[in-house]
Amino acid sequence: MSPPRPRPRQPLAQRMIDALRRRPLDAAAALAVLIMAAWIAPGLMRWAIIDATWTGETKAACTEGGACWAIVTSRWRQVLAGFYPKDHLWRVAAAALVLLAGVAPLLRRRTSGLALATAPAAVLLAYGVMEGAGVLPRAPTDYWGGFFLNLFIGLGASIFALPLGIALALGRTSRLPVVKGLCVAFIEVIRGSPLIVLLFAAAVVAPLFTPAGMTLDKLTRAMIVIILFEAAYMAEAVRGGLAGVPAGQVEAARALGLDRWRTLVFVVLPQALRIATPALVNSFIGLFKDTTLIYVIGVLDITGVLRNAVTDFAWQGLETEAYVFVAAVFWVFCFGLSRWSASLERRLSIPGKSA
Amino acid sequence: MSNADCAMVAIRGLNKWYGDHHVLRGVDLDVAAGERVVVLGPSGSGKSTLIRCINGLEAYEEGELDIAGVGRLAGAKAVEQSRRLTGMVFQGFNLFPHLTILENCVLAPVQVAKRDPNVVREEAMALLAKVRISDQAHKYPAQLSGGQQQRAAIARALAMQPKVMLFDEPTSALDPEMVGEVLDVMTALAASGMTMVVVTHEMGFAREVADRVVFMDAGEIVEIAPPAAFFDAPRQTRARDFVRRVR
Ligand SMILES: Nc1ncnc2c1ncn2[C@@H]1O[C@H](COP(=O)(O)OP(=O)(O)OP(=O)(O)O)[C@@H](O)[C@H]1O
Ligand SMILES: [Mg+2]
Repeated sequence: MSPPRPRPRQPLAQRMIDALRRRPLDAAAALAVLIMAAWIAPGLMRWAIIDATWTGETKAACTEGGACWAIVTSRWRQVLAGFYPKDHLWRVAAAALVLLAGVAPLLRRRTSGLALATAPAAVLLAYGVMEGAGVLPRAPTDYWGGFFLNLFIGLGASIFALPLGIALALGRTSRLPVVKGLCVAFIEVIRGSPLIVLLFAAAVVAPLFTPAGMTLDKLTRAMIVIILFEAAYMAEAVRGGLAGVPAGQVEAARALGLDRWRTLVFVVLPQALRIATPALVNSFIGLFKDTTLIYVIGVLDITGVLRNAVTDFAWQGLETEAYVFVAAVFWVFCFGLSRWSASLERRLSIPGKSA
Repeated sequence: MSNADCAMVAIRGLNKWYGDHHVLRGVDLDVAAGERVVVLGPSGSGKSTLIRCINGLEAYEEGELDIAGVGRLAGAKAVEQSRRLTGMVFQGFNLFPHLTILENCVLAPVQVAKRDPNVVREEAMALLAKVRISDQAHKYPAQLSGGQQQRAAIARALAMQPKVMLFDEPTSALDPEMVGEVLDVMTALAASGMTMVVVTHEMGFAREVADRVVFMDAGEIVEIAPPAAFFDAPRQTRARDFVRRVR
């Protein structure tokens, strides 16, 4: 028997050259991107950073010729928390921390199951801290706003939409025609309507039909609409996952005596959700961006705050700064989410199985 | 009559249709406790269907099917019971890919039979030792060879402490060099006194291990005979043709 040798390794530069030689088209594309970047980057850097003005009370402070970030920094409180009472901003910070803590168990494979309980609990707790209960004075949702609102709606709606989406996907496979029909109808109606129209309906039309005694504030109504909307999309992602579980898996579970429910929980869903993870993360990212649409119900999220700012006489004409800032914030969060999902996929992947 | 003489599996006048396709046509079969029955027959003759009816994976339209006396219960309860009493081994292994081999074996005893996980785990390790893959207990199915996976599937079925083991072509999906290791495990299981119903194309196994061979064709049992008699002197024409072809 010949003794084992360490696997041969080539220097990085050599490997890159080899890769480019094997794929000339990729090499050309990479070169084009590099040239574009080299062309755009210096100007962008100068505008966004070098010549930028960072603080000031009005547009007049911006004299450097670059970006006028003062429009953002002068109202950082609103950007983060809307018109939430000034003395209670700690509650916003606490609520944000609670939300993040609620989803933190997802970061470790061992603890990810815990998120099933901690995430919904965190959303309710964050709502309680913000809205006020017991010793905390009330701060109705009309005062909520800023990026916190995007975070709250994005996380909160995701957390409740996923189980609903799973239920809808399962309902779609039901043998009972009524259940199946209702689920299909719901999914197709929702998927065929623009979210903005549904939000508008929730804000304006729904109150006309709700009985007098029952009032839900408009943010709650919007939240419900977003949950239903996203659930319909997640249902389709989960359905794809369910279809990817071989029939033999269910047979094996049945043959071992597992009933429907246990077959679902222990055999089918763990596999289906793994398959559906990329599509689900995709809809989480979409949902997060969709939170900017709640301006239609008259709530000021980060976009709304800045849109207001540019109509302010003192800051007129700074649309570019306002929207570039919003785009950058969302890009950072969505890119983080997609990196996290890539690592999640790796951690959830079944050992020994390729892809 | 003592318990041992009592039929472990008793099938009377079993008829099954897929749509209008009559796939089991009046099947009668008794399998005694501790008996090893090998079911042979051409493709499409209904072997899989029969075995799947026995453990309740398929419903049937007519007839009676009784495992250790529970079939006399009616309906869903009987199906549930017969699944508990039978262990099934599939051609495609059907291990749960997201669970380790040990977790595969422990799942049903803990979740269905509600037994103590620590005890179950110890028993499962003993079973894995019996099928000679203890060293693979903490690996995932996709990390094992086909032969190892099938042996793990046998251990998983045994972990439910079934009274009857059903095998549907357990070696047909295996590379030739792995067939032997699975058949060895099955032979050892037979020697331990387990009641077994085996659908297989391994004629050597049928000859050596079976107490009786059941030959099926077109949804009927055509001939039942001890293996020596069946292979050397089949009585029915259809059986004779089959034996000539497989030899
Ligand atoms: N799910 C099904 N739906 C409709 N017909 C089926 C189904 N499963 C099996 N059949 C038909 O029932 C008949 C018996 O099938 P079965 O699988 O029991 O045969 P088999 O003896 O196991 O064959 P093989 O040796 O190929 O596995 C065949 O004609 C087959 O086409
Ligand atoms: Mg078959």
